Amino acid sequence: MEGRPTDDADLFARAQRGDTAAYEEIVQRYQQMAFRTAYVITGSAADAEDAAQDAFLKAYRALATFRAGAEPRPWLLRIVANEARNRVRSTGRRHQVELRLADHSRPGGAAPSPEAAAVAVEDSKRLLALVNALSEEDRQVIANRYFLELSGEETATALGIPEGTVKSRLSRALGRLRALVEEASIA
Amino acid sequence: MPEHAELEQRLSRLGAELDWPATPNLAPAVRLRIGARRPRFERRWLIAAAAAFLVLAAIAAYPPGRDAIASWINLHTIFRTVPHLATPTPLPPGLLGPRLGLGAQTTLETARAAVNWPLLVPASLGSPDEVYVQPPPDRPSGGEVTLVYAARPGLHAAGETGVGLLVTEARGAINSEFFGKMIGPDTTIEPVAVSGGSGYWISGAPHAFVFVDTAGVVRYETLRLATNTLLINVGGTVVRIEGNISKAQALAIAAALA
Repeated sequence: MEGRPTDDADLFARAQRGDTAAYEEIVQRYQQMAFRTAYVITGSAADAEDAAQDAFLKAYRALATFRAGAEPRPWLLRIVANEARNRVRSTGRRHQVELRLADHSRPGGAAPSPEAAAVAVEDSKRLLALVNALSEEDRQVIANRYFLELSGEETATALGIPEGTVKSRLSRALGRLRALVEEASIA
Repeated sequence: MPEHAELEQRLSRLGAELDWPATPNLAPAVRLRIGARRPRFERRWLIAAAAAFLVLAAIAAYPPGRDAIASWINLHTIFRTVPHLATPTPLPPGLLGPRLGLGAQTTLETARAAVNWPLLVPASLGSPDEVYVQPPPDRPSGGEVTLVYAARPGLHAAGETGVGLLVTEARGAINSEFFGKMIGPDTTIEPVAVSGGSGYWISGAPHAFVFVDTAGVVRYETLRLATNTLLINVGGTVVRIEGNISKAQALAIAAALA
């Protein structure tokens, strides 16, 4: 998503030497990934902001543990996800993630006809409604894997479960979603 | 999951069409907290707590040259000491407003009407020679007004700008820092009190000025190197008095603001 390995390596090396401007650049670069991941976990934009902010502070203090040349994304993701899950635990509240379609959404290929575009938007709306109708556990694994575009390993990190569990959970969630899609298309 | 390949593709496409909540700019708060070296704050307590802590830090621990954030004292301003300041781009020729990015030139009366705070003018200097207004988003959310005084006896032309004095006034969101000062090792900074308000006198080598726009983005004004500056908070308005002036002169001008 934001992978720029050479720049990242340089930024992290500078940040590890105490260059706070370099760390600010790291925050700017990864804050969207951090905020959205925390949002999927907490279900609240305010909690996600607090969690992401705390996570970047913890990451700064843990910079010495970051291995030179490593990919920053999984390292940051682990800290962000831990912070977001801790926040859900400590506040005892988890809001249901409410994902909506953007108003300007223009799904499909290049320049579809207005009719085709309208149909595609309706399809997206229906699919999203079915995702939202799934259980929290199913929605979480789908949102991490497809909406945040995390790898299987990263999804495991974000959810705090083994990668094998991600696979089985995802398979079951997709099965249930597919059943809902088929049910809706018959109705 | 080959059996769900089509559904997976649809979900990936759907991901790109989602309306996520806007990602907040976390960098200023993270920067503040790194400077404050405090472990945990709820967001709503962050600014107040960091401010109280940093007032002490500014007074007690300001060795110039330390790469650390030194202060935030309800001046909506962060000071940061840096080992080296970037060399500024030479100022382009032409009118002062465009050269310094001060905004549109206007009259004092129009400027008074354009902002939602009582504009302060140093009575001891009389009417400014030029007045500029810069609205958001190119300045803090409340906008910014700059009064320019030409060089005259007692007000020497400042090296970078050639003018006698700049008085800049701005207001932004409460509890947000919207200015920054990048201060090199040869610049000194000391707390001062003026007419019941508090502030800082920044002197010595020129220092760079940055600001946070309404979108929370930090903008570095590399072309502008400030000279001696008095930075004060007058009833919620952040006033900067910049020029080739002494501390006593600056304090006298500040005391005459009305």
